Amino acid sequence: MDDSAEPLGNDEHAAKPRRGNPWIKAEQRLGLAAARWAMVLGAVLNLAAIAQAACAAALLGSMLHIWSGGWRVLLAVLGFAAAAGLRAYVQMLAEREGFELGAAARRRLRGSVLSTLLALGPAGLRGKHSADLAATAIDRVEAMDGFHGRWIPATAQAIIGPALIGVAAFYADWRAGLTLIIAGLFVPFAMAVAGIGASVAAKKQFLAMTRLQIRFLDRIRGISTLVLAGRANDEAAALAQAAAELRQRTMRVLRVAFLSSTALDLAAAAALVIIVLRFSAVLHGNLALAPTALFLVLLTPEFFAPLRAFSAVYADRMAVEAVAEDFQALPAPPLPVPPVNIRSVAAHGVTLSFERVTYAWGGQKPVLENLIFKVGRGEILLLTGASGSGKSTIMDLILGFLTPDSGLVSINGAPLETLVPAARTKMLGWIGQKPVIFAGSIEDNIRFGRPEASETQLADAIRHAHLTELIASLPQGLKTPLGEGGFGVSGGQAQRIAIARAFLKDAPLLLLDEPTAHLDPVVERDVLESLRHLAIGRTVVLATHSTMAMDFAKTIGAKRLDLDALRYASWRSEVV
Amino acid sequence: MNPILRISALWARHALWLGAAVLLALAALGAGIALMGVSGRYLAAALFGITLAVPLALQFTGLARVVLRYFERIVGHEAIFRALADLRVWMFRGLAASAAGGLGYRRAGDALTRLVNDVDTLDGLFLRIFVPGLSALILTPVLGWFLWQEHGLALAALAPFLLVAFYMPLRAAQAAQQNAGKAGLAMAGLRSTALDALQGLREVKIFEAEGRMLAAVQAREAAHLAAQRELIARSSTLNAQSFLAAQAAILTAILLGFLGTPIPALVAVLVLIAAFETVLGLPRAGVLYGQCAAAAARVVHAAEAPSPVPDPAVPSPMPSRNAIAFEHVSFRYAPDRPYVFENFSLQLPQASRTAILGPSGAGKSTIAALLLKLIAPESGHIRLGGTDISLLPAEAVRHRIAYLGQTTHLFADTIRNNLLLGDPTADDEKLWAALEAAQLAEAINALPDGLDSWLGEGGATLSGGQGRRLALARTLLMDAPILLLDEPCAGLDAATEQEFFKVLNTAAEGRTMLLILHRLTGGENLDRIWRLTGGTLISAAG
Repeated sequence: MDDSAEPLGNDEHAAKPRRGNPWIKAEQRLGLAAARWAMVLGAVLNLAAIAQAACAAALLGSMLHIWSGGWRVLLAVLGFAAAAGLRAYVQMLAEREGFELGAAARRRLRGSVLSTLLALGPAGLRGKHSADLAATAIDRVEAMDGFHGRWIPATAQAIIGPALIGVAAFYADWRAGLTLIIAGLFVPFAMAVAGIGASVAAKKQFLAMTRLQIRFLDRIRGISTLVLAGRANDEAAALAQAAAELRQRTMRVLRVAFLSSTALDLAAAAALVIIVLRFSAVLHGNLALAPTALFLVLLTPEFFAPLRAFSAVYADRMAVEAVAEDFQALPAPPLPVPPVNIRSVAAHGVTLSFERVTYAWGGQKPVLENLIFKVGRGEILLLTGASGSGKSTIMDLILGFLTPDSGLVSINGAPLETLVPAARTKMLGWIGQKPVIFAGSIEDNIRFGRPEASETQLADAIRHAHLTELIASLPQGLKTPLGEGGFGVSGGQAQRIAIARAFLKDAPLLLLDEPTAHLDPVVERDVLESLRHLAIGRTVVLATHSTMAMDFAKTIGAKRLDLDALRYASWRSEVV
Repeated sequence: MNPILRISALWARHALWLGAAVLLALAALGAGIALMGVSGRYLAAALFGITLAVPLALQFTGLARVVLRYFERIVGHEAIFRALADLRVWMFRGLAASAAGGLGYRRAGDALTRLVNDVDTLDGLFLRIFVPGLSALILTPVLGWFLWQEHGLALAALAPFLLVAFYMPLRAAQAAQQNAGKAGLAMAGLRSTALDALQGLREVKIFEAEGRMLAAVQAREAAHLAAQRELIARSSTLNAQSFLAAQAAILTAILLGFLGTPIPALVAVLVLIAAFETVLGLPRAGVLYGQCAAAAARVVHAAEAPSPVPDPAVPSPMPSRNAIAFEHVSFRYAPDRPYVFENFSLQLPQASRTAILGPSGAGKSTIAALLLKLIAPESGHIRLGGTDISLLPAEAVRHRIAYLGQTTHLFADTIRNNLLLGDPTADDEKLWAALEAAQLAEAINALPDGLDSWLGEGGATLSGGQGRRLALARTLLMDAPILLLDEPCAGLDAATEQEFFKVLNTAAEGRTMLLILHRLTGGENLDRIWRLTGGTLISAAG
């Protein structure tokens, strides 16, 4: 693949630097509100630092034989030790508190992201890749840790710290205090001046850097494609070149951006030099001033420490820019169903009907147009048609993942959307093409259908789903771990687990969405046999294009709805 | 070899830059120490009424510190950017040569993400561990000299300095290393639980498991946070202890000053304060080192893993013909796994067209992997034009085969660049012809930027079916005498599928073609059709 400058340097792909992204602002407010205790700890640290500097200055004064007096020295030693002990302890608390702030924020964000995704369901997230959604729920949430755990406390500290120490310095010697305060104010000023050129560019550069990392990840993920196409060497060269170009551009930005750190260094060095010179002029002979002079020299690094800490967490702030858009791009959670209209219907013997249902996927030609059909209690409906003819759309409409553009889907005469969601899901059983096997034991996976099921019910479900033999053959039996890193089940075995789930759930309306599409003929026959048991006494909708499954449906007296025929020649009614 | 050393050895190429960065860092540190020292000397001298010609030195060291710090940052970043770029390319080449060629089959996307994160972790190795560590080392004798000037006994203050600069970071690194396994496991658990919940969203909704899944993720999250909290508890304790040790040293130095000469004592105390400021961050660097060590081990392990199918030392010449034969091939993925094939044979004569049908999991894709030398048979031979492919270099074999796999990756790049992967020399006309053949030209034409439209990560701007077709167009561009297509029609509807086979029948003219399908549609023009069940082929027709 040819390389690169293009995606990385292209400004269109770089997020536009926005003044005050509202999502980041909201996070910042939440973070500041949560960081009160951290601020108190920070202030205590500064006060202890002031006390310690005062004690150290007094001790150094005595050391230089300026004032003597044993008890004063003793008091200063004790004060020094107490202040140092307090600082050590509070620093430890502050560090732990910072972690807790980050942890709480991650818990909050992750909870809200996952709740939203779970509430939206598969239809609301159509077109989004589950791995990408997982990256938002995991990695992007982790990326917010530094913002809440470090950046916000450091921001508060960068104001509180210099303010407290500046006041103390001012109180000790107003000229020196003023020097510090002016130097302190120079820092944000100089940062802003250097930043006018650099901050926008730095933000863009940070994104370009992130993008290079993403590109690297993308090429590593596709490495087998590159190797098989014989292009791995070219791509390695292209990656090296892209990195080199990015480095050159980044360094151009950094040369300016680092000036803001240099401003801080300059302010700190200048303040120290000025304070030393200011005192040297008056010190000659005036020994009483010595402790004050030493106090201020010791206080100068303390004054700048919070500012240094603040500039050290710059990357944590920048990291947010890179993830904010992904958080904002998450769809809003669906509105809760208005409680007034909610009701439930008798759960036994279900009649399902579609009345002039029309549905179109986002502005395209409708997949379903004025569809009418009815499946009575205990009846079986066979849905056939080419892929794309709307079989899955019908399933999603019944499952409530989609709502029709017009027309009504009703169960026992009650429109679907007026049912309590929990009552609706209780009535529905579903088996898809490829059931998802979760990390956990076989038992967990079967009980997924109804965790509170009794042992007998579980045993019945296993027997009906023809899983008894498989489980008996495994050394760990029901406790055999499945899913990532566990025992790999075949397509047919996974389908039987799904059937066992459906048995356990015992829902009166059963939806079968191409349940045998990925199976061997031999396995298919066997799975269909299990499905026959499952279908007894239930209302069933079976979507398939397997001839074996169609024949099977005929033997159990299914009605057929052919969506292709509907599409090409209005609709043919074997059904209504 | 220690993985950290292995990684450092890779950076030898940038020794000049890295060396310059270290020197500048040391010089800046020296200027900082000098500034504190000069300030103390000047103040103390003034107290005793001695006038020293110090102001110039004071201003000079102050300025030197500022300027040196600036260049330290610039050169340090330049050096580390160079080193990291090399590390990435090294890892990419390593993965390409080793097992990763076959990773597509194992769908190890998640493991790869972790690996890439590991590389990012290593960027702290130089600037945040190596440079401060070296600074502390060089600082030690300098500090010793200043303390000696104060009083012989003041050298005692060196002990806490060594403790903070070297022992505490070691303890922190051990703690981090012990924690790394637990933290990594907890994170992997969190990740897979979240992925489970999202991949199984349909099941989750239908079985009303939203609450259960959320609780499961939160339980894993709690374990993850607990592991991190444990490390924070230990490292914050170490930091507090280091701070106390530093303050004890400073207090000792001050009190010993009562015994020694005042001016050197004041200087020594101020220098000590500045020195501790430099090393108090080292325990934190120790934690980072512990994490880096684990990351480096994984990166080195992955990049230097041996190739599962090593190339022959003395390769045979490439055969001129392109017939393929599987002769009594047996294969299984691991000695404790069942055989995918036992004594499997298949003949694909030159320029013949063959299809293998079968449900997923029957081993169809394993045939492709064997042919591409991603895996090697346990016994039996696979021949290309009569020569056993184990005697041929993998790259040359792959060069003969235009392959479309089920997990073929679409890159986050332009559509044009994705296509050029198939044939870097193709002109626009050729690209459009391939798109036409894959029934995708119309859709690409409709995009505002046409061929130069940007494809998101994993092909996000195209639908699943369109993405497959783009991969197909890329494969058709490859000018190889063998076509190996694994489910080329996934994502095509029945009508387009028919169209596609018409085009394919022309494109495959004169080439040896193997189609792997789960069912036939009737449009294929085939010589042989096999059905694969239970590891054996049954003639289906043809």
